[in-house]
Amino acid sequence: MLGVYLTVSAAALPADSGGLPGAGFFPRIIGVVTVLLSSALLLKALRGSSASTFVLSHGRVIGGVVGLTFVYLLLWGTGFFTLRTFAFLVLFLRFLVQSWRASLTVAAVLTAAIAAAFQYGLRVSLE
Amino acid sequence: MTADLLAGLTAVLQWEVLTFLAVGVVLGAIFGSLPGLTATMGVAVLTPLTFWVSAEQGLAMLLGIYCGAIPAGGIPAILINVPGTPASIATSWDGYALSKKGQAGLALGINALLSAVGQLTSIFFLAVAAFPIASFALRFGPAEYFGLALFGISLMAGVSGDRVIKGMLAGMLGLGIATVGLDPMTAYPRYTFGQSEFLDGISFVPVMIGLFGLAEVLIQISDRWGKLDQAPSKLGRIWPAWMEWKRMLPSTFTGAGIGTFVGAVPAAGGDIGSVIAWEQARRLSRNKEAFGKGSLEGLAASCSSCNGAIGGAMTTMLTLGIPGDAVSAVLIGALLIHGIQPGPLLFRDHRDFVFSIVFLMAFASMVMMVVGLLGAKPLARALRIPSPWLWAGIVMFGAIGSYALNNAVVDVWAMFVAGIVGFLLRKADVPLGPLVLGLILGPMMESNLRRALILGRGDWLGTLTSSSIVVFFMVATILSLLLPLLKKRRAG
Repeated sequence: MLGVYLTVSAAALPADSGGLPGAGFFPRIIGVVTVLLSSALLLKALRGSSASTFVLSHGRVIGGVVGLTFVYLLLWGTGFFTLRTFAFLVLFLRFLVQSWRASLTVAAVLTAAIAAAFQYGLRVSLE
Repeated sequence: MTADLLAGLTAVLQWEVLTFLAVGVVLGAIFGSLPGLTATMGVAVLTPLTFWVSAEQGLAMLLGIYCGAIPAGGIPAILINVPGTPASIATSWDGYALSKKGQAGLALGINALLSAVGQLTSIFFLAVAAFPIASFALRFGPAEYFGLALFGISLMAGVSGDRVIKGMLAGMLGLGIATVGLDPMTAYPRYTFGQSEFLDGISFVPVMIGLFGLAEVLIQISDRWGKLDQAPSKLGRIWPAWMEWKRMLPSTFTGAGIGTFVGAVPAAGGDIGSVIAWEQARRLSRNKEAFGKGSLEGLAASCSSCNGAIGGAMTTMLTLGIPGDAVSAVLIGALLIHGIQPGPLLFRDHRDFVFSIVFLMAFASMVMMVVGLLGAKPLARALRIPSPWLWAGIVMFGAIGSYALNNAVVDVWAMFVAGIVGFLLRKADVPLGPLVLGLILGPMMESNLRRALILGRGDWLGTLTSSSIVVFFMVATILSLLLPLLKKRRAG
């Protein structure tokens, strides 16, 4: 699908510019090669010669970690950086079955380290 | 040359630079010794921190991490049979067996000492061979550079075992991502979806942080959660006896030589080098049956080879601008942040800086030897840190490090998306190496191909056979892709 998308969208870009290779020239090559390679992989899978190896263990935990991180990033730039980061880390660690005591302590240490390194050390505006 | 050498040494012998180097080595030792944290991840996640310091200071820290993490990767390999970095896979074969025999300390001591021997041998190679290679590469024109980049990507796909097609697809994905932004030759916007944030393209470092930081955390949760062994509490003696030194000497230098050579091959890193060296040392040994059961020769070969790959990989990266392994791929991004373009011109215009890199690496490997010997016990104790604490730190430093590069939220999202994509690709058994290479080499490949075609008036055949060097790269590309497929067919 990515190959088809690249090929189709590259067709909208100028393939040549004044007789010289244009902006769409290279994406077109990538798109076509991707389509060919994907077809070969698909054919291999249909013949049964390519064993599917996608095994997802602890899917719920991974989903939770990704979801928590997503929410944290969505709230980026809304202020209260220290509080927000501390709350995220506590939830993150609790979600990974750490005790309340360990979660609060590690979250506090990490938040302090990040604030010290980036906000006060490197003067990055994180609010 | 002598003036450049002295200038390079003087630039390194500043207390700020040496402090950054020492901090980098210690951080690298921590990253390498904790399963789940790798050298690549360490360099990727901490690259943003170097943005605010000079090129020498930033590079001192990153090279310190690199030279510290690879030997430290042997610590969990020896103590709990889990390689801390992919390069230390062969170290676990004999190291863990020694640990089970109650000789964990000796194995850790050999790891610290012979890793330094491997690194210093390969750094010597870098110092001696890099200038002639760079001088030869100065003859390269656009067609040669295109051929070289194509060969690099094909080699990475070719060494992906029986996943050649998947490797090639990953390379195409990397090349595709590299096309986002303004066209380098006509400034025409491509795949920007009307968003001005994408006009400069997708930042390389956040993508690397996602691929090697967040994705690795997710992989760890999926594969290893709750499965790690406990490290032994008693280590025993660390320093090898004289007879043991004598026995290990031939396999040490065999390993260092093979590691350096394999490391210099684009895309083949210490993991491949150490396995080849271990096998070669076994063949040459009089005591073949001891290999894999706690052989000191086997351990010597694996430790020296995986570290020998560092100098080899850096030689390729610095002279040709093509990464020798994943860490040097991330280092290219770090060098570019500091306005330094790796490649033959670096050797013509900034010789002193090249010598600085050589000295930094040599000092880092010596500092790591001391850290490895004195810090064996504390680092073994660090293995007891619960993984979720490390994962929380990696995710946070990854997110904020990505943002801090350009103060751009789009970079944080790039890291997040790259992390999820990297995780899914790895679970689908798609190698990430070709993707990274495609991402790095994409702009170079595209602009050089287009320039070469302009010079060749659009004649593809004429362009791709315009010199013996281009023909060599084209033939090598075809062979590197076809040979693994033919080998597989013959085996099957």
